[in-house]
Amino acid sequence: MNHEKLESIIERSFKTEPDYHLPDNFAQMATSRVVQRSQWLTDLFEYLYLIAIVVLLLGAATGTYYLVNKELLLQIFAFISGNAVQVAMVVFILNFILFADRVLLRLLFSRWNRT
Amino acid sequence: MQHFSANCCQTSSMNDAELINQILNGNMNAFTFLVTRYQKLVVHITGRLIQRQDELEDVCQDVFMKVYQNLGKYRNECKLSTWIATIAYNTSINYLRKFKKGDEINPDDSTALRNLTDFNSVDYEKADLYRYIREQIENLPVQYRTVLTLFHLEEFSYQEIEQITGMPEGTVKSYLFRAKALLKEKLKFVVDNNSLKTVKEISNES
Repeated sequence: MNHEKLESIIERSFKTEPDYHLPDNFAQMATSRVVQRSQWLTDLFEYLYLIAIVVLLLGAATGTYYLVNKELLLQIFAFISGNAVQVAMVVFILNFILFADRVLLRLLFSRWNRT
Repeated sequence: MQHFSANCCQTSSMNDAELINQILNGNMNAFTFLVTRYQKLVVHITGRLIQRQDELEDVCQDVFMKVYQNLGKYRNECKLSTWIATIAYNTSINYLRKFKKGDEINPDDSTALRNLTDFNSVDYEKADLYRYIREQIENLPVQYRTVLTLFHLEEFSYQEIEQITGMPEGTVKSYLFRAKALLKEKLKFVVDNNSLKTVKEISNES
């Protein structure tokens, strides 16, 4: 065999595709993974928006009551500070239920469906 | 269903710019088509670099995830294939750094030559040679495999390979030359005359 022949064999070998392969439905799988991922982010932002709206509404209600009925507001604050642990726990549980409903369970179900 | 197939036909005739616009407007069929169009490029680069079929699908999915997440940042400064190849290269290199030994990244030519197995066939049939060379490409250092894949298989230019890998053009040319020289060194006994240069001679020249 001469030098040129070996050279051309090497060149052709370089141009041969390697034996690595992906499943036939890889494009669909990649797309659904992207959709799931972006869905998770959408769900998370939706939850955060919801929390922000609730906090804003509570803030607005507090401001309004401060102007209209200061006594009632002070009573509510006294109740909250007197039962701080219970109130914090109720807020935490409600918040967790909302988070689980809006984000966590949806994410777990989509992961579960994937596997 | 008719709507879906009509959509598929539309996307298949789109050029890259139209495809990107469609994806950015939320058309996921367009993204599926983009993956179909470039999955071969990604699997060649990723496969040659990580060399693990069982991990390949996950790494390729990561590549396309990054493509989707960063598509809004893509500017027409380079071809879409070059941009996707850059993501595939960086993702694969990060995978190698994370899960493989560091010494694979920067071996010298003598180590690389030792890693190549000998060609044992006595009557060196052409098919044996092809198979042998293809096997040995997988035993070359990672940079050599990368530039060989990008230059010969994907037909990127030197400038594009420089963009993708960050290696200077001279280095790319040197790696291509040395990869071929290493294989020739192993196969020099199949050549009649003694016209082949040894790796040592080539290394001294470059």
